[in-house]
Amino acid sequence: MNLTRLKHYGLWFILTTSLVAVGWQITALYRIYRDNSLISRMISEHGVQLEKRVSANPELRLARASYLKHKLRYDEALETLNLILDQGDAHFQARVRYNLGNLYLVQAIASVETMAINQALPEIGLAKQAYRQALALDSNFWDAKYNLEVALRLLPEMDRGTTKDDNPQNKNSQLWTTVPGFPRGLP
Amino acid sequence: MRNVWLFLSLSLTLLGCSDTLTQPVRKFEVLTPRPFGYVIGDVIVHKIIIETRPGILLQPSSLPTQGAINRWLNLNEAIITETESDGGHKYHITLNYQIFYAPLEVKMLTLPGFEMAFSMGSKSVGQTVPPWHFTVSPLRELAVRKDAGGEYMRPDAQAEAINADSTVTGFALSLSIALLSAARLASLYGFWPFFRRRNIFKQALRKLDALSADDMDQVLTTMHQALNSLNGQPVFKHRLDIFYRKYPNYRQLGRELNWFFEYSSRYFFIGTENSGNVNLEKIKKLCQNCREIERGSR
Repeated sequence: MNLTRLKHYGLWFILTTSLVAVGWQITALYRIYRDNSLISRMISEHGVQLEKRVSANPELRLARASYLKHKLRYDEALETLNLILDQGDAHFQARVRYNLGNLYLVQAIASVETMAINQALPEIGLAKQAYRQALALDSNFWDAKYNLEVALRLLPEMDRGTTKDDNPQNKNSQLWTTVPGFPRGLP
Repeated sequence: MRNVWLFLSLSLTLLGCSDTLTQPVRKFEVLTPRPFGYVIGDVIVHKIIIETRPGILLQPSSLPTQGAINRWLNLNEAIITETESDGGHKYHITLNYQIFYAPLEVKMLTLPGFEMAFSMGSKSVGQTVPPWHFTVSPLRELAVRKDAGGEYMRPDAQAEAINADSTVTGFALSLSIALLSAARLASLYGFWPFFRRRNIFKQALRKLDALSADDMDQVLTTMHQALNSLNGQPVFKHRLDIFYRKYPNYRQLGRELNWFFEYSSRYFFIGTENSGNVNLEKIKKLCQNCREIERGSR
């Protein structure tokens, strides 16, 4: 096959491949448009038909989790957030962990309101852990700072009392305790 | 009296020299940020610059370990950079602490100090990094504020619109490539009106398809016109070499073109009988081959 013919068939190959790519990109753009419109509707909390989608975009799943939380479907929201816990960049992961913290904190506050203290304790612990993780990923996440403070006020942490066994060698294995102190503040 | 002063000053100088000579660390500097105005979740960066004498090495294990230091303090990262300096070593240590303390009012806290260890042969010497004090402030008021949903807390982080920039770029790029390659192919196939030269044999072939063996005059004329049109001037058998120099791709059809010119001469000037469809098909085949060269597929 001479060079001229090779160039000619090369042109046909480039045209075919680029047309396939154009088709693929159009499909991808349509999906993005559809997902973005779904995200907008979920944010504005208009009636949304929720369907289980195996390969949905993480941002769409984040919106879905918030929507489910708003509808008090906490277990489904938790399940959705767990699916995207390790996806996306640090900014996205911080937001997922913050929303996870909010989910636990809302449940904890509800448990406190009904005086279900035993149920509230682990929920607050999980909320604090999620907020700490979010702040470790993004130390300028002010909402996470605020809500971590809310959680710490609900369940303050206290230093363990010093005993004569304390020494610098076992500093790393020290424990600290949490004391339930639910402030019943002003309305 | 003068000798006494001289002796005293010399002794003091020597004492000073011996002290710096025996110090394992030539330079020790702790760079700390402002000690106030911190809130929960803030990162505090401490930088330590150390220069050691030759043969003295820092023991990295003596630095605080990454992770929780106490219930409210976390060491996120400890970065050690080592360079050579005057035979010794220069260490730049960056410690990124993060605080998780929620005070009820402005409160002073302390980042614990630690002892850095240096190895000097089989011996070990230490250098103390002093504790550092700073104040941390609360973010919310002492009395708990409530809204319609109970205790006030910041709302969920909203999902962001999916970024389509990379997809749009990919779409524009692949569309451009598709259009460029389609345009090039269209010019090769003679679809552009301003690239008539790419269209010569296409049109000739179309004319030939409409002719039969009985119209051999027109068949030959059409083929001649096509070649002349391509060349911009009449093409003759004895000037084919010039034609090939101008259009080297057509050299591969040299045998067929020779035959065509010989046959045409015989037909027009000697009056050779028309041998029917065989010659027509050969001329059509020649025209087809010329067409393939014209569009660049041969």
